[in-house]
Amino acid sequence: MIPAPIIQISSKFQRVSLRKNHPLLMKHYYSRYRLLLFLALSLLFSINSIAQTIKGKVSDYKTGEPLVGATVHLTQAGASRFVAVSLNGSYSFKNVKNGAYQLQVNYVGYSTSQVYEGTITSADETKTINVSLQDASQQMTEVKITASNGKESDHAVRTIEKTSPMVLNILSANTIKLLPDVTVANALQRVSGVTIQRSASGEGRYAIIRGMDQRYNSTLVNGIKIPSPDQQYRFVPMDLFPSEMLERLEVIKALTPSMEGDAIGGAMNLVMKSAPSHFTLSANVSGGFSGLFSDGRLFNAFNASPNKQSPAIVNGNNFAATPADFNNKAITSGHSLNNPFSSTAGLTIGDRFANNKLGIIVSASYQNVYRGSDSKQLTPNAQPSPVPLPNSPQFSDAYDRTYSTQTKRVGIHNKIDYVINDKNKLSLYNLYIHQDESESRFTADTLGLGLNTTALNKQITISNRSTLTQQSIYNSTLHGDHILGKKFVFNWDGVYSVANRHMPDRTEFSYDANKTLNTAGSVVTEYDNNTALVHHWENNRDRDLSGYANLIFTPKIGNTDVEFAVGGLYRHKTRDADYIDYQLKGGLTYYNNNFNSLPFAINTPAGGLGSNNDQLENNYHITENDNAEYFQFKFNPLDKLQVLGGVRVENTDMSYATQSPITVTERSGNIKYTDVLPSIHLKYELADNQNIRASYFASISRPGFGEIVPYKITGEYYDQEGNPHLKHITADNYDLRYELFPGGADQFLIGTFYKKIYNPIEFFVVRDGGPSTQVIKPMNDAGNATNYGLEVLATKFFGVLGFSVNYTYTHSRITTSKLLYQQSAGQSANQSFVDETRPLQGQADNVGNASILFKSAKLGLDMQAAFVYTGERLFQVSPYYNLDFYQHAYNQLDFSFEKTITKKLSFYGKINNITNAAAKIYLKYPHAQIDPKQQEFLGKQDITSQTLVQSDFYKTFFLGGFRYKF
Amino acid sequence: MKKYIIPIVCFIIAIGASSCQKWKGEHADIYTYTTPAANPVSDKAPLSCSGSGTSVVSVKGTMLSGKTYTVENGCDLVINPLDTLLMQPGVTLNMGTGTSLIVLGTLVSNGSKDAPNWITVPGITKNDAPGGVTPANDPAYAGKWKGIVGGPTCNLMVLRWTHVEYGGLQEGDATSKIANSGAGNQYSILFANYKGNFIMEDSWLYGGVDDPIRISAGKIAIFRNTFEKNGVSGGDCLNAKGGTTGTMAYNLFIGTATNGQKASNKGQATGAPQTNVVMYNNTFVSGGYRQVQSGRGGCINFEEGAAGMYYNNVAINCRFGFRVVGSPVADVAHLSYGNNYQWADSLSVANQFYPTGYITQPQATDIPAINTSAKYLPSNYTLGSIYDGTDVVQKNNPMFTNFPLPTSGHALAQYSAVGNYNFHLQASSPLIGKGNTTIAPLITVPLDKIYGLSEATLPGADLGCFQLNGGGNQH
Repeated sequence: MIPAPIIQISSKFQRVSLRKNHPLLMKHYYSRYRLLLFLALSLLFSINSIAQTIKGKVSDYKTGEPLVGATVHLTQAGASRFVAVSLNGSYSFKNVKNGAYQLQVNYVGYSTSQVYEGTITSADETKTINVSLQDASQQMTEVKITASNGKESDHAVRTIEKTSPMVLNILSANTIKLLPDVTVANALQRVSGVTIQRSASGEGRYAIIRGMDQRYNSTLVNGIKIPSPDQQYRFVPMDLFPSEMLERLEVIKALTPSMEGDAIGGAMNLVMKSAPSHFTLSANVSGGFSGLFSDGRLFNAFNASPNKQSPAIVNGNNFAATPADFNNKAITSGHSLNNPFSSTAGLTIGDRFANNKLGIIVSASYQNVYRGSDSKQLTPNAQPSPVPLPNSPQFSDAYDRTYSTQTKRVGIHNKIDYVINDKNKLSLYNLYIHQDESESRFTADTLGLGLNTTALNKQITISNRSTLTQQSIYNSTLHGDHILGKKFVFNWDGVYSVANRHMPDRTEFSYDANKTLNTAGSVVTEYDNNTALVHHWENNRDRDLSGYANLIFTPKIGNTDVEFAVGGLYRHKTRDADYIDYQLKGGLTYYNNNFNSLPFAINTPAGGLGSNNDQLENNYHITENDNAEYFQFKFNPLDKLQVLGGVRVENTDMSYATQSPITVTERSGNIKYTDVLPSIHLKYELADNQNIRASYFASISRPGFGEIVPYKITGEYYDQEGNPHLKHITADNYDLRYELFPGGADQFLIGTFYKKIYNPIEFFVVRDGGPSTQVIKPMNDAGNATNYGLEVLATKFFGVLGFSVNYTYTHSRITTSKLLYQQSAGQSANQSFVDETRPLQGQADNVGNASILFKSAKLGLDMQAAFVYTGERLFQVSPYYNLDFYQHAYNQLDFSFEKTITKKLSFYGKINNITNAAAKIYLKYPHAQIDPKQQEFLGKQDITSQTLVQSDFYKTFFLGGFRYKF
Repeated sequence: MKKYIIPIVCFIIAIGASSCQKWKGEHADIYTYTTPAANPVSDKAPLSCSGSGTSVVSVKGTMLSGKTYTVENGCDLVINPLDTLLMQPGVTLNMGTGTSLIVLGTLVSNGSKDAPNWITVPGITKNDAPGGVTPANDPAYAGKWKGIVGGPTCNLMVLRWTHVEYGGLQEGDATSKIANSGAGNQYSILFANYKGNFIMEDSWLYGGVDDPIRISAGKIAIFRNTFEKNGVSGGDCLNAKGGTTGTMAYNLFIGTATNGQKASNKGQATGAPQTNVVMYNNTFVSGGYRQVQSGRGGCINFEEGAAGMYYNNVAINCRFGFRVVGSPVADVAHLSYGNNYQWADSLSVANQFYPTGYITQPQATDIPAINTSAKYLPSNYTLGSIYDGTDVVQKNNPMFTNFPLPTSGHALAQYSAVGNYNFHLQASSPLIGKGNTTIAPLITVPLDKIYGLSEATLPGADLGCFQLNGGGNQH
């Protein structure tokens, strides 16, 4: 009786989500699913069929919010059974036997309810028992701690969204758990107005919020800013964080004075799991694979070089390295793996001791994921051609690359809170995240299209690069809450954080395969020469010591409760970085697939000497002392109107010193600035479940360390160099939003924003000595940028089915001067500057998410099909007019499910990129008009008015496993 | 017999009389006063930076004839933006290990035929016999010092009758930052100001690591020089990039790693003119054999938007012939060429007279004649395609005074220095009188005996850098 509709719904789901899938996989999935269904059915059929019913609602004692997922236990005659509270907050036991019963409700983070006892007698009788639960932490003490009273459910976060004084969007732990994503970066793309930037293997890495790229956003852990292991910037790679460690993920789009002011797009706040009210244990383990490595394409693995530091670091800068000082294991240990198995595991244990005064939670997560991509790319020549048209694109290289990436992530965090007495509470939070990414990149580079490579003469540079990147973040925060009197509350944080990034001995081996072809196109001769070996080391480390303090005073002025807060922070930050390349050449010896026979030597005079490194400026030390003070008030001038406002002052004092000789201009410097950042946030309650918000805030974005130091690094197309004359970016931000929270997890939000950005940092090409050394340099644009848009978000549940959509329209514009290289008839070629107006880099006009959810507490089955759409966006700004690279609209469809097998055990699965969507990048230039000599290198083209210059395929990724919850 | 006597006597008398003209003559020795150099550079002690705590020793003024100056190891000798260093004839400037000469202002090395200047490293023995020493062991390629680095503010650099030797060490952080010349450079001479003038006449460049002379941009006049052992495993001997205009003529190149002369408009700066280089009467011997990458040139190369012309040039056993690149294409609408001569010892050289894959258009005035045989450049020949050069191997021997052709006993790559060879033409040479003398040099620099180009030698009637009448290259 019950199963029939389930089959219908679930098969419909399969149709939606698996339609485009491989038939074999589908079959595989069906059989797995049948097994689950069978398990579910056998559970269901064990239930007796008598018609009495006990039902009711379970809600939060304070807020009245329904508590979906709370467990209701019914005991009759010694036998116990339970149901979970459904999405609208209700529960029911259908086939209750006659007689006495006891009913009790419990829920994580809440005190267990009283035992409701009663007797049920007549047939058809329906008893209604409504239960409200009290928040365990609130009950323990009246101390109110914003960071720790959050809960993991959807409606709990709806409450936060609704009551929050500022504009934000939240994903709850329950939502994240069901998402097809295992990292925070990938989960972020489900948030309204957020798009993600992917790494070479297709893994999401950085978040672009409302069209504002990474640099405009900040990352917080439990409200505390953390340093970044990134080699250049302050923004944190979000793929470092396993998503299962989160209690919720907040994207804060409007800043209050009490928050750090360096976010223009938004701040991502990772609220980590906090100690529960009673013993909790959950564990999960899963395995999976990428479809990329399952049909013949092997995964390339290597063992990392044992040389963790460069010869210059080990022996000092005056040491002249010789080939004997290097180890080529990262190349010589290369081997293939057939369809390697990815695995993840997680464990969370929490409990409360000492009369509930001491709470501890420890959570660990391990991921070992094998992914990769196949990439084809045309690299533009350093300069276009003036003929036949001005700025006619030309290409210098056609790359064919295969990436194999093994990512090992370990995340451990723990939180200990101790209630000293009813007025004082302390908590200690520790987070350690470590990621080892081993990337093997095989490249076949058809070099010098038309210059050195022609129809009769092919020069293909084969290279094999093995990169191990180790990144870690450690954060330790001691937090205290103190009620100083009736009207005063004081809280503080002491923070120590370290972020590290090491790239030990990235090794690249390359050689030229020279083929001479005859007119018929067959190879006449081939020889492999020009062997080269590069050993590269790169390290950086950030250390933060910070203190935060806030004093909150809540007097009654007139009849109005007013909350005043003053506070501030002090941060002492240091960063150290080093960077060195060693170039070894195999000379005139031909390469005959015998790497060990190559007589590698450093043949540039003094090339092995650390002190002769051209890049001494990349070895630097930075000290930054920031302090900020704020004043904030909050009151309701009208019953329904809440006003929060104030002002924040941020002082930045940054000094850098490079290892460059003292004759080098810009080798060291000190930069100080002060910003005064006012803000005001209005919230008007149209009704109990409706708000209208308006806010203004001023904010800043500090340049990255790696771009303000006059460093110089090899970039993708151009070398890049730093600019100590960069000014920090400031912005005025306006937001207007209407919110409707109809109840449960449902919501409807519509909002609009406008940002004016001053001194935006954009990348410009500048000459640096010679012609081959045109470099990209970040500079403040003289013009201001504007960015405005519209966001809509709707989530609605119909019983077990839920629909969630969000859509963001963004429009940003900036005008910069670009190069125009042209030759008018009879005249000589010349280059001039022209202005070009374009969107900000990374911004897509249209961004949307749609997901269909099926959540049945009764069946213990949750399913989700999630679709992400990222419209065309500016991918890479070219120094030349009209030659910017655009990423084509990208669609990705993911599916995930979780099915309870027993009370404590569930099975879950995640399938990513079901349709094998490719990331494609185009030049907006008709490909038929490219120089005929280069046509043969263009490959398959699909848009007449554009030229496809890069396509990356990642294939589908599968993950399945078990979750155990005690 | 008698009838011959009178003429003979008359002849003898005439000779005698004309000889008497030689005895006649006048000698004047009139006192002239030359004001002393205001800022003579002292040669008492090495130019030293070690006391300053930096690598910099600034210099300006005059280096006096006959004196020897020494730069301390590791120092950057810097001519500041508003300063001038004038080296009188007969100056020797000994560069210490790892030193550089950074020209942010003006450098004039005013050597003369009788008293040339030397910018060199002392105490090195040259081994110029073919195959006498491997490149790996040859000090010519070792980069003893960093070279002459013209920064973006260098308005004039003149090298006249000057030997520049053993440069090319990688500049490193300090040197490249002071010169503002970009990182990683290993040039013996760099010039990088499109508003400035670079003049090199009657000079010698010996040794080098990468491009021996890199003209990033500039107005240039490079006349009558000799280039030997240039570039260790790559590098174009005279590599002119975007924004370079001027003339390269009467130069002798032997054993360049890649091309002898290259013009490209790559990296033309905003405000800089398009690259336009006129090249005539140059001789290239055994070029292109130390380039480890394939598909590079061996004598002359025009690419990527460069305009100009090349006439009357001679290429002997170069790995690749005169090369016009089709992609990125040279400015072929403004590029003309002809009257160029090539010699091949072997078929593989002859097969690259018109290099495979490029767009060099064979000219009716070229030697060997483009209609030599049905196999060589057949009627269906398309630019850049493969042809059979069998019929032009070892044809039209140029009859050099002392250089055996075909060569014997050594690989072509081993001919990298002039030594005892002599590339002047014998009177029987087929190169004589084949030149195009209607073309004109492109003179963009000032003409001046000291602060400019002292002589702009016009195109010569004989192919190559040595003219039978004694004109052209004076070495």
